Amino acid sequence: MRESRLMLIQYTTAVLAVALVAVHLLMQGIITPYSTAISFSTILSIYRSWFYAIFLEALLVVVLVHGFNGLRIILHEWKQTAPWSRWTDIGTLVAIVATVAYGTRTVILAIFGGVSG
Amino acid sequence: MTDLRLAIQRFDPSRDPKPRMVEYTVPRRQGMTVLEALLFARDYMDHSIGVRFSCRQASCGSCGMKINGRPRLACYTQVDELGGDSVVAQPMDNYAIIKDLVTDLGSFFQKHAQVTPRLVRSDAREQDNPTKEYLIKPDELSKVLQFTYCIKCGLCTSACPTVATDSKFPGPQALAQAYRYTADVRDQGGAERIESLDSEHGIWRCHFAGSCSYVCPKGVDPALGVQLLKRHVMSGKPPHLAEEASKEYRAPQTQT
Repeated sequence: MRESRLMLIQYTTAVLAVALVAVHLLMQGIITPYSTAISFSTILSIYRSWFYAIFLEALLVVVLVHGFNGLRIILHEWKQTAPWSRWTDIGTLVAIVATVAYGTRTVILAIFGGVSG
Repeated sequence: MTDLRLAIQRFDPSRDPKPRMVEYTVPRRQGMTVLEALLFARDYMDHSIGVRFSCRQASCGSCGMKINGRPRLACYTQVDELGGDSVVAQPMDNYAIIKDLVTDLGSFFQKHAQVTPRLVRSDAREQDNPTKEYLIKPDELSKVLQFTYCIKCGLCTSACPTVATDSKFPGPQALAQAYRYTADVRDQGGAERIESLDSEHGIWRCHFAGSCSYVCPKGVDPALGVQLLKRHVMSGKPPHLAEEASKEYRAPQTQT
């Protein structure tokens, strides 16, 4: 993929992440008091709402893509050999897929009852 | 006037294990430039001081160096404007040192050449033997004019934090020149130029620190050129814009 496409993804995910994190923090403060916002039962009930589950999945994907792509850029600047660049790209892709899959697994388990309160 | 304490970083890579600072006391006069102080020290105190210069009027870009920690042209920097009674002269960062204040600009010019810093036409025959004059409107010229003032002194590249870490990054000078020619309505080489710059060590590695624009002695704003080039690359418009615009001006001009 061309670097300009990757940077477009980077900028887009940055904007989306700001919006999603802002909404996420507002939700935490408005819907539930901060004191109970991170209790196990509250989080489980949030995941079991389809709206919030999709919202949190989107937040997960956006933040991970942005974060790992940012790390890829830093690593490219750190060392400038062709093998390093190639393995950095591959490593970034694997890291994104693995962490998104692991996070998605948590969301799915919470929705379908794999995790119980 | 009080004498000037001139500290010069001395280093000969073929002989010295590491750079050292040597101080010279130079008689100061009103309007004295740092280059004049350096040449006084070289002519009357130590003939072995390595300093490169030519025009002495900020046109050739030969005497770039770090003066009191900031990249400047020695011929264009008066001692008075620096304040105090001491001047510290060091070679520019981000370049290999040939000797003392003389740096190797080979990679700098190589990167400059890689962005095809000239107007390119799609018709090679017309390029080599133009049948007409290709004109540019004043408002179109104004978009690229400041970038034509670049004297290739290398100060911007010396100040660039990305160049310091990424040896493959073209640097602000080369990127600003890429914009200068890509944005020129008479140019049709934008696609090829951008092809090489839209890469992992290309234009996107500019983080807009702005140091390049801060140190440019000619008032060029390379950081602006880089951001404008990014916009062009993202929109994919420059080659088309250039082609469309140049069609308007392909009519032969009457030669008088």
